[in-house]
Amino acid sequence: MSVPDESAAADQTGSRRVMEFVLRLREAGVLAFLALLGALFATLTSTFLTTQNLTTVASSAAILAIAACAQGVVLLTRNLDVSVGSMMGFAAYLTADYAARHPDIAPWELVLIPLAIGVALGLVNGLLVAYGKVPALIATLGTMSLYRGLTYVYAHGQEVTSSRLPPWMLTSVDARVAGVPVLVVAAAAIVLVVWLFLQYYPLGRRIYAVGSNPLASFYFGLRWERVVLLAYMLCGLLCGAAGLLYAARVGTVTVVLASGWEMSSLAAAVIGGVSVSGGTGSVIGAALGAVVLATIDNGLVLLAVPEFWRMFIQGVAIVAAVAADAVIASGIGASLRTRGAK
Amino acid sequence: MLEMGKSDAPEPKPQAAVLRLEGICKSFGPVRALEDVTFDVLSGRVHGLVGENGAGKSTLVQIITGLVQPDSGRVLLAGRPVRFRTPIEARAAGVAAVYQDPKLFPHLSVAENIALGAYPTSPIGAVNRKQMHATARKLLQQLGSEIDTRALVAGLSFAEHQFIEIARALSADVRVLILDEPTSALTPAEAERLFRVVRTLRERGTAVVLITHRLEEIAAVCDDITVLRDRRHVATKPAAEVDRASLVQMMVGRPLETLFARRKAPTLGEDMLRVENLSLAGVFADVSFSVRAGEIVGMGGLVGAGRSEIAQTVFGVTPPDSGRVILHGREVRPRSPQQMLALGLAYLPENRDHDGLIMPETITHNITLPIVRTLARWSFIDRARERRLAEDAATTYRVLTPSVAQIVSSLSGGNRQKVAFAKWLATNPAALILDEPTHGIDIGSKAQVHEMIAQLAGQGLAVLLISSDLPELLAMSDRILVIAEGALVGEFSHDDATQEKVMMAAAQQGARARQ
Repeated sequence: MSVPDESAAADQTGSRRVMEFVLRLREAGVLAFLALLGALFATLTSTFLTTQNLTTVASSAAILAIAACAQGVVLLTRNLDVSVGSMMGFAAYLTADYAARHPDIAPWELVLIPLAIGVALGLVNGLLVAYGKVPALIATLGTMSLYRGLTYVYAHGQEVTSSRLPPWMLTSVDARVAGVPVLVVAAAAIVLVVWLFLQYYPLGRRIYAVGSNPLASFYFGLRWERVVLLAYMLCGLLCGAAGLLYAARVGTVTVVLASGWEMSSLAAAVIGGVSVSGGTGSVIGAALGAVVLATIDNGLVLLAVPEFWRMFIQGVAIVAAVAADAVIASGIGASLRTRGAK
Repeated sequence: MLEMGKSDAPEPKPQAAVLRLEGICKSFGPVRALEDVTFDVLSGRVHGLVGENGAGKSTLVQIITGLVQPDSGRVLLAGRPVRFRTPIEARAAGVAAVYQDPKLFPHLSVAENIALGAYPTSPIGAVNRKQMHATARKLLQQLGSEIDTRALVAGLSFAEHQFIEIARALSADVRVLILDEPTSALTPAEAERLFRVVRTLRERGTAVVLITHRLEEIAAVCDDITVLRDRRHVATKPAAEVDRASLVQMMVGRPLETLFARRKAPTLGEDMLRVENLSLAGVFADVSFSVRAGEIVGMGGLVGAGRSEIAQTVFGVTPPDSGRVILHGREVRPRSPQQMLALGLAYLPENRDHDGLIMPETITHNITLPIVRTLARWSFIDRARERRLAEDAATTYRVLTPSVAQIVSSLSGGNRQKVAFAKWLATNPAALILDEPTHGIDIGSKAQVHEMIAQLAGQGLAVLLISSDLPELLAMSDRILVIAEGALVGEFSHDDATQEKVMMAAAQQGARARQ
């Protein structure tokens, strides 16, 4: 090998190291940010670092973490789902209504209802995007209104009050496992299972592959449509679970339950390092993103910062995360454009 | 998998056709891609597949691997008809292809890129990572490559991408391996390493189909050669029976179409566009040429040689690293297309639907887009004047349309190209660069486009014509420049140029050491 070849090779390994570092340490970055945030609030307030407050933060993050995980799965395929909140609301309302009419239903039977609803709604989204070739934003924007509208029609403006729900539904979410709220345990378990699936199962790896390079998956022979459909169905399933937990937590289920969650789930996933251009990030990162949002919220409440400032600061966090993601994505794009890109 | 030992293995029958293509036809909409292609690929031999750009080689590969389905005809693998639905199925049956630009997943590790689709799994169905890495490492070592299998593909070099793709193809028990221009981005040493692997595979009884433009490679490794021309099969012969000259003859040897009316001896003016030592790192280097007023200068070469990139640099899309561009006697620094347009240079991009026109807009708006400022009065656009101008242009360039209010996407390819012409010529340029202006348009419109080009040159415009269509290039150009691997490798006068000469120059290897 001649001398210029070697220096070029050295250059190559240098840029490779930076790239790997950035891609592999996304979750670590989120954790570091979380620690920084925690340290900041701990010094500014005396109440932040108490067990009770931290439990509150974890509980309020738990359901959002599941929703962010749902959003993350779809983002990994280079799509997005803005019907997340509507799917949660639809599943939650129908389940609560059913439980109110059939107070004797066994818990495990009741749990199946929101999950089945979620999968069905996710299937519709997936069919529109994967087989109908409707851009993901437009398709799910449509179903966002559609699912919410169906909830309104079904409810006739009524809400399901907590007094009509089976008591076990309300008490079980307040239970604790070794001092940890069961809600937090459930969320952690769900996120972990999804993570394991995505990380270690061939089907999960295909979700990453499709988002990483759709053209390559075409040439490789991956059925892009099937993988995207699967991702949307998984997203729906998780939204069903999140909807049920949310209904049990708030007790009174209204037709507007989880409105706006499409945005907070997206924000959490992006802050947690899931790339909006697909292929990279993890659902654990997305869940951590939910914790970041909950921490910011909690800290600002403790500091008695007015509501509109909380929105503003959340917005700043989202924009910063997206900007960082864009920089990384353009770096990856450049590394693929080594030669004669047409 | 790739051991040289063949002692107790049954001796592969050298004459067995492992892959047979029978009467393959394929059209994409109105465009014919392949017509009745039939030939055999024998096991234990390296089969060269050659032909000009657009001869149909890539479509053929896509049909064999199941990426596209033929309209008619059959693919037979070891005598049995097969119809793969996806390349994964093809790989499972032992048919794998490696494409010209590697298509990998940048966020996944090297091992995953190799294993994807055929993961080794543990009893609970999870990916067995240890085994995955071990297999990947073994495959890469057989290729003489020491890439870390845990590295992410993002950030690896082009040659490394290529070896990963080949390793992936080998991971199935491969009976037919198709390599589509595998060496176009490799250094000579890397290419030699690749060919060693090819020879080993051949000895093992694998059939290797090698698509290449490099005639040296054909001489070096191929046992059989199939030539495609104009979407048809021309010949399949043992390499020993074909010499270089007859091969080139077969590749280009169509009769010169009578459509090209040679214009009268042109009257040439001064240099309008002059390029000196233009370079863009890693893409092209040290390119110098000039185009005089009234002259048509052709630019030939293979796809990916860097012709479009040179044109785009001159036009300011990607500013050069070094070199000078002199337009109409004035040195300019190309920074943006707007600037170059204002200075009197126009560029018709190759992909006219994607880069050249706004498809969902009207003919009028497309034509007047580059000059819309000049149509404004008190910063409002003079719509009547805009329409008159568009109508004049549509008549001049013979766009067949009931009205200039027609949406561009509803026009035929030829008519779209005329609109693109009208659009850029509305800027009154002094020099015009045309990038594959007749690519994908029908014969009739093609002749009209040629006539239009000749007419424009006759009016004193300097024209640089980039074309992969050799007869067109030879007939239209007053001079022909040949680009290979990012360098200017040949220049021929109109009378001196022949298809063979241009083809030979374009296909030469190692014209310039790759950065």
